[in-house]
Amino acid sequence: MSPIAIIALIIGVPSILLLAYVFARGSAGLRRYILTRIVLTLPMIFILATMVFFILRILPGDPVTSALGPKGTPEMIAHIRATLGLNDPLIVQYGRFLWNMVTLHFGNSLVGGHRPIIDEMSERFPATLELIIPASILALLIGIYGGALAASKRKKALDYSLRIYSVVIYSLPIFWFGLLLQLFFGVRLGWLPISGRIDSIIGTSLRTITNIYSLDALLTGNWPAFFSVLQHLVLPTITLGLILSGVFLRLTRINVIETMQADYIGAGRARGIRERILIYRHALKNAMIPVITLIGLQVAILLAGAVLTETVFSWPGMGSYLVERISARDYTAVQSVITVFAMLVALISLAVDVIYSLVDPRVRY
Amino acid sequence: MAKSKEQLSETILEGATWEVELKQVGFVRRLFMARRWYGADWWFVAISAVGVVAFIIVAIFPGWFAPFSPDALVGPSFLAPGEHVDPPILVVPVSSAVQKLQDLAVPEGADSPTVAVLEGAPTGGALNEQAQKIDEVIKDQPKGLRLRPIIDRYPTLSGTLQAVINGTDKVAVVQMMEFHAVKAQYPTLREATTITGVTSTAGGFILGTNDIGQDVLSRLLWGTRIALIIGFSSSIVSLIIGVPLGLLAGFVGGTFDRLLSLLMDSLYAFPGLILAIAITAVLGPSILNIIIAISVLYIPTYYRIVRGQTLSVKEEVYIEAAKSIGARSLEILQRYIFPNVIPSVAIIFSVNVADAILTGAGLSFLGLGLPPTLADWGIDVARGQRFIQTAWWMITFPGLAIMLIVLAFTLMGEGLTEIFNPKLRDR
Amino acid sequence: MPDDILYSIRNLTVEYKTRGGAVRAVDNVSLDIRRGEILGLVGESGCGKSTLGKALMRLHDGPASIPGGELWFDGRNLMDLPLREMTDIRGAEIGMVFQDPMTSLNPVQRILDHLTETIHTHEPETSDKAARARAEELAERLGIRRERLKEYPHQMSGGMRQRVMISLALALRTKLVIADEPTTSLDVIVEAKFLDLLKELQKEFGLTILLITHNIGVVAEAADRVAVMYAAKMAEVGTAQDVFIDPKHPYTQGLLKSVPNIKLDGGDLYKMGGQPPSLLHPPSGCRFHPRCPFVMDVCRNEEPAFEPVAGDHLASCWIYQTPVANKVIGEQEVHNG
Repeated sequence: MSPIAIIALIIGVPSILLLAYVFARGSAGLRRYILTRIVLTLPMIFILATMVFFILRILPGDPVTSALGPKGTPEMIAHIRATLGLNDPLIVQYGRFLWNMVTLHFGNSLVGGHRPIIDEMSERFPATLELIIPASILALLIGIYGGALAASKRKKALDYSLRIYSVVIYSLPIFWFGLLLQLFFGVRLGWLPISGRIDSIIGTSLRTITNIYSLDALLTGNWPAFFSVLQHLVLPTITLGLILSGVFLRLTRINVIETMQADYIGAGRARGIRERILIYRHALKNAMIPVITLIGLQVAILLAGAVLTETVFSWPGMGSYLVERISARDYTAVQSVITVFAMLVALISLAVDVIYSLVDPRVRY
Repeated sequence: MAKSKEQLSETILEGATWEVELKQVGFVRRLFMARRWYGADWWFVAISAVGVVAFIIVAIFPGWFAPFSPDALVGPSFLAPGEHVDPPILVVPVSSAVQKLQDLAVPEGADSPTVAVLEGAPTGGALNEQAQKIDEVIKDQPKGLRLRPIIDRYPTLSGTLQAVINGTDKVAVVQMMEFHAVKAQYPTLREATTITGVTSTAGGFILGTNDIGQDVLSRLLWGTRIALIIGFSSSIVSLIIGVPLGLLAGFVGGTFDRLLSLLMDSLYAFPGLILAIAITAVLGPSILNIIIAISVLYIPTYYRIVRGQTLSVKEEVYIEAAKSIGARSLEILQRYIFPNVIPSVAIIFSVNVADAILTGAGLSFLGLGLPPTLADWGIDVARGQRFIQTAWWMITFPGLAIMLIVLAFTLMGEGLTEIFNPKLRDR
Repeated sequence: MPDDILYSIRNLTVEYKTRGGAVRAVDNVSLDIRRGEILGLVGESGCGKSTLGKALMRLHDGPASIPGGELWFDGRNLMDLPLREMTDIRGAEIGMVFQDPMTSLNPVQRILDHLTETIHTHEPETSDKAARARAEELAERLGIRRERLKEYPHQMSGGMRQRVMISLALALRTKLVIADEPTTSLDVIVEAKFLDLLKELQKEFGLTILLITHNIGVVAEAADRVAVMYAAKMAEVGTAQDVFIDPKHPYTQGLLKSVPNIKLDGGDLYKMGGQPPSLLHPPSGCRFHPRCPFVMDVCRNEEPAFEPVAGDHLASCWIYQTPVANKVIGEQEVHNG
């Protein structure tokens, strides 16, 4: 089974089960809310895909010509244009585009070998997942805990240092940060590798199932591979995770401070509840509600950061694929990648909305 | 401060309790009184404002600060910061008219000039290299000159210099430091320019040189211009489009609002960099196209905030009151809603510029935005990536510059947020 | 300290730092709260009564501080206690009921958890089962059915939420309950029920209640004794009977005259002249002097002491403290409406 299918199952099946459970046990209000979110997600994907479609169609000049370059004879160009259906009226092309998107028919690469794009993506997509999941976890841990900490020690040295940290981290260009880490830990100290996902020699011994190398290594009991992947993961994860943590810290801090002004916190204090519990349990729990939605929006930053991080560390994921394909003028591939990104964004938004509805009892009941 | 307290109490309305309203006092005075109250946040804003102004000045007049032109090949490649340069210089008789290497060019077919060089020194190679470079450039010119000097090698420095004195060779090319050491002994010889055509700088280049010999510092300072142009232009465009749309949507509501908001939300949720990549890929690399691409990204931000504020102000009771005494919609918009919206927009603008510069740098780092000949920080970092093992300064300083300018704008936005946002003040 | 006094406030001052300077929301106030009584504390908005209430638990917002005074609660001066012991007292011996029960309850926490958390905070060895049982029992006593305890605050009505607030204040062996504007957010009928409940609790548990409100009607309905505050200072204290029938301080007199007669047969409504003063720069001498119909020269220059006028009836007014006093009273006596 293709790796994409496996991943889809791993993520999809529990999600659907969870959704079904929530649907069955939840109140009418909750059901309505979730349905609305699902229904709204479709237009989002639709709009984004449409934008992608039209953006790439207003190219000055002909994509096929520039893709083939000087090697392209007029017959080749005409032939390819016909196969791609580029001579049909725009509406027809659009319809075909939508249909292909839904059925995940991405076509073949225009440049360099005409490889089916979906094959390429089934290697690249898991690579990106392998990067963004640990990075997000790191960012959340630092950001949320740091934000609550800063809020609790407001206007003292720790608060200001954490705020400065989050502002500085935010201002750091992520690609520069990655390069500095490479320079320091890779070149100067030589502790960690600076490119790739796994040592090339060890890599040949790894049998891939999901294409998430660390997972595959665990599943096949291949310890040298596992450690090699972890080694390669360290720098990119720190790069992406730290940069993201700045945003999360700032959001959490502001929301916790605001929540601390609430009356029920004062009421809790009047009942003798300790300050630490007020902050880390009561205020944080309440503050998390708006923060969840806001964090969901940061997916955009996560993906943009992934593109740059993958480029810096030569990490063969969707981000570096996009950049490569653009330089090669492979517009079919570019179109496919951006569409996948759009779907990813929409799905994550949906997931965040559902989680939000589960956490806030005002929506649940 | 005592005097202002007096003035303050006079303007307090009779019914005020211990919560003093500073709004009666003028804006400028309020700014300075704010220092005492807002503490560190005031300093954030003040310092970053100074930084921003400094960057703007450098961007407008880079020539005042930069020692060289950003494209000039001023020195050997890969010079570390502060590394002392010992460039090869031309040494000629005092009476000679030769000033720079190019002066040795002769018409096609004429005898090539001879040059004295110390045996075994790297000056010979440097001379050939430089001569070739110049030759490539001038051979296509109408005058049809060629520069193909013939090299004479001498075993000693004195021999090399003597050859020029007695006319065997037209010029000598020796290391600058070496010449300076023995200069006094050769009163009939003088130092011309370095073979690269620039007056020698024994001090070295403060931030080093890059892979083709350009001064990193100069490129840094000139790069400010591009960064700020991209930052400000795209932010202004986003603002001009986003704010009115937000006001309109918030005020009018209905299907128009819903549709527009759906569009904006989709746009907002999508990774900005990727969208910008797509747009620049389509439009082609140029500054204008980058500005267009980046401005599209931030329109939703202005739209959402302005729309949100409009909606909440619309709910306020005093709007109903105004309507009931017959105020027209446009008036309401202008007099009540607009002024409430301004502080938020100012904050967004500040952060927007920071973000735009970051995105622009990211784009040029990926090689997707600007023509690669421009002096831009992102391009420089990308270039430096190839030489990370040997020339650490090539990536360090441009990246640092990006960080500092983004920091300045972000700090300003942060500080302004703390000051303007009433929810964050102590009760 | 005499045994019948539960809480003796002596010379309490609470100061706020504002952008304009330091403001005393409570200025050198002394007050005794007797065991088992309902003491009503009235005054206009901004006179300092809420701040006083909070200060009794040493609970104050960020920029506030207590530069002076003693808080003798049940034989101990709370000002001497470290903060840790203070939090032990809060919620266990002194409880507070807040004005807006909607915002005073944690929206993501079930009612039951509110109660059990309070119990666990002060008696951590209590088992979950025991805590739950106690919570349910308490709720039943206050008229909340136990099935409703697993709901969230937004699912309850305003009156019910206020009962929850009371139950929270009574979760442990509370001696004193401070109710800060408890009925302001309730409609009249619910308010009446609430006050009845307070009186029941006073009888049943021997509770002492400090009822802070700007609504004189509430105080007339429920209080045993009444204290009147004006501009961060204590103006008058006495039994409800004394204060309502024979108010001594001109401010109290004006306050009582301003209450509209429901029969509306009294002609025009009485309005007290002037505005409440700024606490940043309060008037010299007696703070009420700019608005007082009986103002004398001494009132403008010196502050009157808060002294007994007749037995347990105290007031801070020069009328009762100078030889001129008797003459003035004789000439201008005011009747209640």
